[in-house]
Amino acid sequence: MSSGLASDEVAEDYKNSLEDLTTNDRFQISNLTVIAKENTEHAMAISRVLENHIRITPPAQKLPALYVVDSIVKNVGTPYTLFLGRNMYQTFMNAYTLVDSQTRRKLDEMLKTWKEPVPGSLDTRPVFPPDVTRSIENALIKARTAALQQQQARGQPDVYSRGRVGTPPGWSNTPTPPQNASRYPPTANQPLPNRTGSVNGYPSAGEQIPVRSTPTPQLQHDVDLSTLNQDVEVLIAAARNEFANNPLDPSVQQRLKALLDLQGIMQRQQLTQEQLKLVRDQVSALAPKPAILAPQPASSHTPVTSTPSLATPLVAQSFSQPLQQFLNPGTLAELIKATAARQQPTPPPQIPPVLPQMPLTSSTPQVPSSAPENPLIAALRAKGLLPAASTPPAGAANMASPFPFIVPGQVRYTPPVPTPQTASIGEVQVNVQMNTASIKIPRNMLIASLYDARPNRCGTCGRRFHATEEGKEKKARHLDWHFRTNQRMADAARRAQNRSWYVDERDWIKSREVGDDQVTTETETTNDSAGADGGSSKKGPAKQWIRAPNDATLRNTPCPICQEKFESTWSEDVQDWIWQDAVKVGARVYHASCYAEVTKDGSSQPRRETPSGRTGTPDSVLGKRKAEGSDSPSQNVRIKTEPA
Amino acid sequence: MSLPGLELTQPSAEREFVAAPPSQINLSPGSEWRFEVAHGTTVRVKLQTGTAELFGTELAPSQTYTFSGTKAAIYTWHGCTLEVSAGDAVTGLDGMPASPAHGGFGAGGCQSEYTAEETPMVEYANIHFALEMLRNEAKATGKDGPRVLILGPEDAGKTSLSKVLTAYAVKVGRQPIVVNLDPTEGMLSVPGTLTATTFRAMLDVEEGWGSSPMSGPSAVPVKLPLVYFYPMTNPLEAEGSVYRPIVSRLALSVMGRMAEDEDARETGIIVDTPGILSQSRAGASEMINHIVTEFSITTILVIGSERLYSLMMKSHDNKPSSSASAAASDERITVVKLSKSGGCVDRDATFMKAVRESQIRTYFFGNPVPSTGSSALSLAASTNVTLSPHAQQLDFNTLNLYNYTTQSAEDEQEEDDYDPAQLTTGDSFLPGGDNDTEWSTQRQSENASSLLLGISSTANKSNPVTAAGNLLVPMKKVPAPAPSALANTLLAITHCAPTSNLAEIRDASTMGFLYVADVDNERGKIRVLAPVGGRVPSRAIIWGKKWPAEVVGLVG
Repeated sequence: MSSGLASDEVAEDYKNSLEDLTTNDRFQISNLTVIAKENTEHAMAISRVLENHIRITPPAQKLPALYVVDSIVKNVGTPYTLFLGRNMYQTFMNAYTLVDSQTRRKLDEMLKTWKEPVPGSLDTRPVFPPDVTRSIENALIKARTAALQQQQARGQPDVYSRGRVGTPPGWSNTPTPPQNASRYPPTANQPLPNRTGSVNGYPSAGEQIPVRSTPTPQLQHDVDLSTLNQDVEVLIAAARNEFANNPLDPSVQQRLKALLDLQGIMQRQQLTQEQLKLVRDQVSALAPKPAILAPQPASSHTPVTSTPSLATPLVAQSFSQPLQQFLNPGTLAELIKATAARQQPTPPPQIPPVLPQMPLTSSTPQVPSSAPENPLIAALRAKGLLPAASTPPAGAANMASPFPFIVPGQVRYTPPVPTPQTASIGEVQVNVQMNTASIKIPRNMLIASLYDARPNRCGTCGRRFHATEEGKEKKARHLDWHFRTNQRMADAARRAQNRSWYVDERDWIKSREVGDDQVTTETETTNDSAGADGGSSKKGPAKQWIRAPNDATLRNTPCPICQEKFESTWSEDVQDWIWQDAVKVGARVYHASCYAEVTKDGSSQPRRETPSGRTGTPDSVLGKRKAEGSDSPSQNVRIKTEPA
Repeated sequence: MSLPGLELTQPSAEREFVAAPPSQINLSPGSEWRFEVAHGTTVRVKLQTGTAELFGTELAPSQTYTFSGTKAAIYTWHGCTLEVSAGDAVTGLDGMPASPAHGGFGAGGCQSEYTAEETPMVEYANIHFALEMLRNEAKATGKDGPRVLILGPEDAGKTSLSKVLTAYAVKVGRQPIVVNLDPTEGMLSVPGTLTATTFRAMLDVEEGWGSSPMSGPSAVPVKLPLVYFYPMTNPLEAEGSVYRPIVSRLALSVMGRMAEDEDARETGIIVDTPGILSQSRAGASEMINHIVTEFSITTILVIGSERLYSLMMKSHDNKPSSSASAAASDERITVVKLSKSGGCVDRDATFMKAVRESQIRTYFFGNPVPSTGSSALSLAASTNVTLSPHAQQLDFNTLNLYNYTTQSAEDEQEEDDYDPAQLTTGDSFLPGGDNDTEWSTQRQSENASSLLLGISSTANKSNPVTAAGNLLVPMKKVPAPAPSALANTLLAITHCAPTSNLAEIRDASTMGFLYVADVDNERGKIRVLAPVGGRVPSRAIIWGKKWPAEVVGLVG
């Protein structure tokens, strides 16, 4: 994000918009795609924002974000495929490790489509270059293999085998998909992820493992909670000592804090066996070499961009996430990364720097993770994204609050909870008398009602919203409005627009201002009705079209009104040549807009069906091309114009 | 070029093209940055840190706002850092690039800019909070919200105050009805109009109030004004016999809206007035009384005039308001004196003329200034809305064109009036440079036609109109042939049937405006620019002969 100024702005906007994408909303996703499409000159910034977002967003929201990526690479293509492909391995694998098995299935399906050409496109190349998808696939296969092997070794039932329903068909029989097999044969020496916290190699032969099932690598091992607690306590005691000796070393502080957090999590949460296992492995890895860990400056090897990712445990439902982040190096992604990087002939560029840290940093990434956590959570809470309490991070923060030392520049340990404050500001009794003396008294408390009471600010227009659920909803609708408007403005720029007639008294009295934070349909209606009669048929996403007639004479007959010929465009959706903005009346074909203008009838009312599938997810996985959602089949898809 | 004084009159060409480096402006809490940007030049302002507001409307962080042809102030309650840089010259404005004489020397090429510590913003904000209290009360008790009248001399900051109050009200989720009774400056419309608008969406930082509806989308929600045409500068023209009934009619509509719209009722009304009412002229205080009565004003804010304040105190303070429920609820009028902001500057005739032209141009063609801030999400290179008005020929005989026959204003030589002398010095107003001859012939023809009209109006007096409703209306139908003075003026299409009587036509709200590009006397046709395509609706049309003065060169 050190690129140009404009890119910064685009990126910031895009980031804000992405943050509002919490569900698999086709409409939002298509909006985000359109924005990306219109800003290809900022593709790099946008791609980076996307990657970051996917990294830091809570697991439940990773899928929609990845769908944005999917939609962009399929609908826009280059340069996004280039920029996004570069880090796709990390992005994808990071997400993959943190989501539940159902989402993984969806990710598998998506990955599969990336290996194929864009549906309906003439381009026969796959969505992403094969090396991008291949590295991911290989890693996934290895992970599955490893997990399976471990399971088999323990003779435990494959509890996750149902997860394979959604895996790409090619995977069930061969270790790699067919098209990749030639270039990337199964290596004889596939090191497998090892659960002991550090990568000290896992000397097993991958090809020996029958790849019949695709379990998710979750470990089933009994872990003694009390032992674990003891271990952690020992570690904390050690860290305290170290801290006492070296109170100014931030890394020591952070480590201690991390341990305290861990303890808090363990005490507060019912951990599953897998999670406990991970904790135990982590702890045991920590135990022997705290001295090595402590002096490591946290920032030297942790990419700055990745810190937020470690610090956004958001949703209580996905409790495992903070823990996994906490134990980040032990998790699947890092291990796979390491192994994959080791044997990949052309590893993704980011991997090598990661690799050397692996053996050492079993705990260091958690150091930065704990530090920025609280401000971030506070920010999230201020935005109304987080409830005031009860989430694990909050618990961890509170638990650590007795800890008296604060790293300079960080506002830790005092979780700012703006919500109650806000409420009180809102409640402040406005008591300003309307007289010349009273109005000269400065009242800063009241100024706060204009600003601080509504901390949730729209990045585009500066409008403020309450930090409440309602405010959040309003903001979401408001941002929707921005998106729609921008999309429509881009569309409208190609058409002639004009000032509308003013309304008469009766209409004005009957009219009601509808804010942009109202429910979608209302807003659209208002905007449309505000557009008055004259140009209503010319605007909005709705367009009328007909199939281009085959008859040559008819084809060359101009519109009787404007005397201009029709232009045929190829519609992917209809799979035929069509005439945009055309309507057949009787035997003659008119431009729909001309006809509407002349007749001023109601039939040309824009059909305002918003895409119905606002929540429809499954088809949007494969059918991204339709995501633009408009009445006109070929709008927003690649159109080639028939030579006249 | 280094001769002293020479640069001021003949700035070197390079000066224009050397973009001033972006400058940082740090504002301490409670101070404001005042700046003036000439027409034709643009200045970009970006809020880097802190919070800032322009007349009450908050600036979004890191958005670039482009200003042109404005004198404004950015205030901060909490302190802020602004980045100011010069924008591109607007070439579209007069068909020629920015006049070098306007090239500014302040930060970012502002004509003038400075930081001021002393502002009346605390007072203005407190007025808002006091109004909020009344609004809460109105909500609780079911009464009407406060109706505020803003009075003060010209350039005292009345419109700025109404913007601040509107913006704050909108910000806290209210929905005020803002009434502009100042015909010299349009609100969401061209000059020469009296308007009422309900505001719910935020004001446009760059465009003042915002934009009235267009066929396409707008980055800042459009506002829906109710427009009445008053083609004169002075409300007291013809002893207020035109202004008064239009105000009554406007008030009636506003009260109708208040009665039906719960949000608007609670929030109340903000009325902005022409400065001329605050001068001690015959009939001015009667007109104020009329407004106070018609809008059932509860709060009178007087800016920058002790005399008017004491006058208002005497005549209105603590008197019951005129609303129907006033007697029952003991609603009384409050008069409050407000300080005039030190930032208020006189806007000279040239500037106001440019403002008017830009308003008229914006009505037909959209905002010429590329708006980067308000539409930053799409960030297309130029996202300014360009409107395409429709040019067409009209048969003059088919038009039902009416003209006000009050003549006094022109004789008085108001400073705002059309003054040929200014055209020789005011360089921003020359149409294209190549049509000087055309220009002078136009002027001659106009003089000739005004002479003609003078004759016809005297003739009118001698033949009193028979219809009773027409008796007191100083208005008459313009007969064929089309007067050549129509050229370059605005015609207001009313919502009123062409056969209505004159009083109805006078009181009718306006549907839109036509701009007369030229007049073909021989064929009896006029070429006009209409905002909306299609046939010009068959309605009574009022000629804005004297106001808003001629705009030359709107159509190339």
